[in-house]
Amino acid sequence: MRVQNPARRACRAAVVLAALAGIAGCGPKQAPAGGGATGGSPATTGAGSSASGGGAPGRKFVIGMSQCNLGEPWRVQMNADIKAAAAEHPELQVLYKDAQNRSETQQNQVREFVQQKVDLIIISPKESRPLTRPVADAMDAGIPVIVLDRKVEGDKYTCFIGGDNVKIGREAGEYLARTMGGQGKIVEIKGLMTSTPAQERHEGFLQGIKGSFIEIIADVDAQWLEPNAQREMNSILARYAKIDAVYAHNDPSAHGAYMAAKQEGRGREKTIKFIGIDALPDEGVRYVRQGILTATFQYPTGGKEAIETALKILKGETVEKNVILGTRIFTKQNVDRGGEPL
Amino acid sequence: MTALERINRWRGLVAFFLVFVLGCLFTPRAADTGMPIFLSWRTQLDILFENCEYGLLATGMTLVILAGGIDLSVGSVLGFAATLFALLTVGHGWGIPAASLTVVAAGLLAGVVNGVLIARFRMQPFVATLAMMTAARGFAKLISGGIKVQPAAQPWYALQENTPEFFSWMTRALPGIGIQPAALLFLVSIAVMATVVGRCAYGRKLYAIGGNEEAARLSGIRVGPAKIATYALCAGFAAMAGIVNATRQDIGDPEAGATFELDAIAAVVIGGTSLSGGQGGMSFTLVGVLIVAYINKILSLRGVELPQRMIIQAVIIAVAVLIQRRKGGAS
Repeated sequence: MRVQNPARRACRAAVVLAALAGIAGCGPKQAPAGGGATGGSPATTGAGSSASGGGAPGRKFVIGMSQCNLGEPWRVQMNADIKAAAAEHPELQVLYKDAQNRSETQQNQVREFVQQKVDLIIISPKESRPLTRPVADAMDAGIPVIVLDRKVEGDKYTCFIGGDNVKIGREAGEYLARTMGGQGKIVEIKGLMTSTPAQERHEGFLQGIKGSFIEIIADVDAQWLEPNAQREMNSILARYAKIDAVYAHNDPSAHGAYMAAKQEGRGREKTIKFIGIDALPDEGVRYVRQGILTATFQYPTGGKEAIETALKILKGETVEKNVILGTRIFTKQNVDRGGEPL
Repeated sequence: MTALERINRWRGLVAFFLVFVLGCLFTPRAADTGMPIFLSWRTQLDILFENCEYGLLATGMTLVILAGGIDLSVGSVLGFAATLFALLTVGHGWGIPAASLTVVAAGLLAGVVNGVLIARFRMQPFVATLAMMTAARGFAKLISGGIKVQPAAQPWYALQENTPEFFSWMTRALPGIGIQPAALLFLVSIAVMATVVGRCAYGRKLYAIGGNEEAARLSGIRVGPAKIATYALCAGFAAMAGIVNATRQDIGDPEAGATFELDAIAAVVIGGTSLSGGQGGMSFTLVGVLIVAYINKILSLRGVELPQRMIIQAVIIAVAVLIQRRKGGAS
């Protein structure tokens, strides 16, 4: 039998697609997998539910949130912050999308939000240039856009909210200079030095220790990764007998350095001060509470501020174009009080 | 065209139609009109635009697969082309025509190398193009110095303010037609290649080589040159996709296009072109590209989470190949 019955073939295709429809239909109703409070909440996006029903007072607002990569804990925290802030405002409905670290996907997501005619878009871009045009197009379509953490080019956005890495680096430097009596030998474990956050955290730190007798005896680029930090710290420990402090560009790197010192078995993890950045609740803040890190400096996600700003925009109030967030320091003394603003 | 192919085409269209209906039923509605977003003309054009790079890759890939080969290097060639195009225009200030021609020529050259390795030196297509995949990525990183090519990224770049107007022109809907030049490039490319494959001697050679290479050789077809031309065309389309990528991203990213080759192969296979060569065609690939694009769009508009999405995509590919194997077994 060389030729099959066309009807049978079509039938088979139909069955396959019906099965797929079944999967597609039930997918979104399942709980978001992994990450606990990742904020990916497709349950709210049931077919046809995004209609917001007229412009009557007390209407609901739909906000589209495009996150560039939910593989990073800090960004998971950003979504969680947005979710927590939005939960206090029942008139807000937030649709979350994760671009999985692809600019193409994120461009598509912004266009989809425009097509869907959401009331406002929040975006944390993977990269500024590729997202500039889609964001500008959304603005042209009359949809306000709040940009978080990384900027887009030009000024076609409603509001940018981000942290100040130079300030954070400077605060870390000044803190070390203060607590070490203005002198000592330190190791700097950098983030990926081709990225601006790492460059700025380095630059700020140099400003912070300027004028003191603190000496950076070794520095490595650990590319933000804990295993790299641990490996490099191993060699540094072997090379230098006297190390007073480690300044790492993120908490996992500081933790990696601590683990290296601990595994060396000479008890040096107790004498070296370990300083990190980011202060995520389940990461740096916990390390401080456990006594692993001496201090960590918060790099704010801006999630809460984004929702506050969004509410103002939706109510027709004017908002500041660029909002630079401060930082908080977490130490053993203040960690239970939620850190201290700087 | 055999009866088998006619039925196969029908299957593709049925699947395509069903996915379309699914899209209308399962996507959210616009807040103001209440119409399914999927059904809007704008969304349809966006789908074409969003998938034009895959489409261009799949167009070239169809030729290679029809001839019984495979090309794993298209993703890397895309990345290399995107980087080179941005470097020539933004870095060296070249005009668009000269830069485009140079980039496509570079792509063709990469394809010729593939073709010669395969046809003359009897390398397995998988191995030869795997080598090119690595080499092209290496060249992309080499010429860019490992960083993304964008204005002011290097002090010596000629264009320090912005990318040329051409970059945004490619991604803006043409007035009146409403379609972006990038998407139009894909549609024109696949239409031209459909004609070439369907009506020209070259097309008949492709089917003959893919069906039975030895028989084709014995019947007097010069298999070597035809194969080299096929791999050259495939890489040429990958280079065009690279230009599209650079204009869409507004940046020349040496990492662009990683794993795109797999998506291109998947689109070709889902369309119904047989991986064993000699069966299928360009119209199948258009249907395949659109089926994949529609399913992705539906999943994205519905906000389906990544894990479920990956599983659904896997099921689609597996089923498409299963149907093909049945067909092979029956013949």
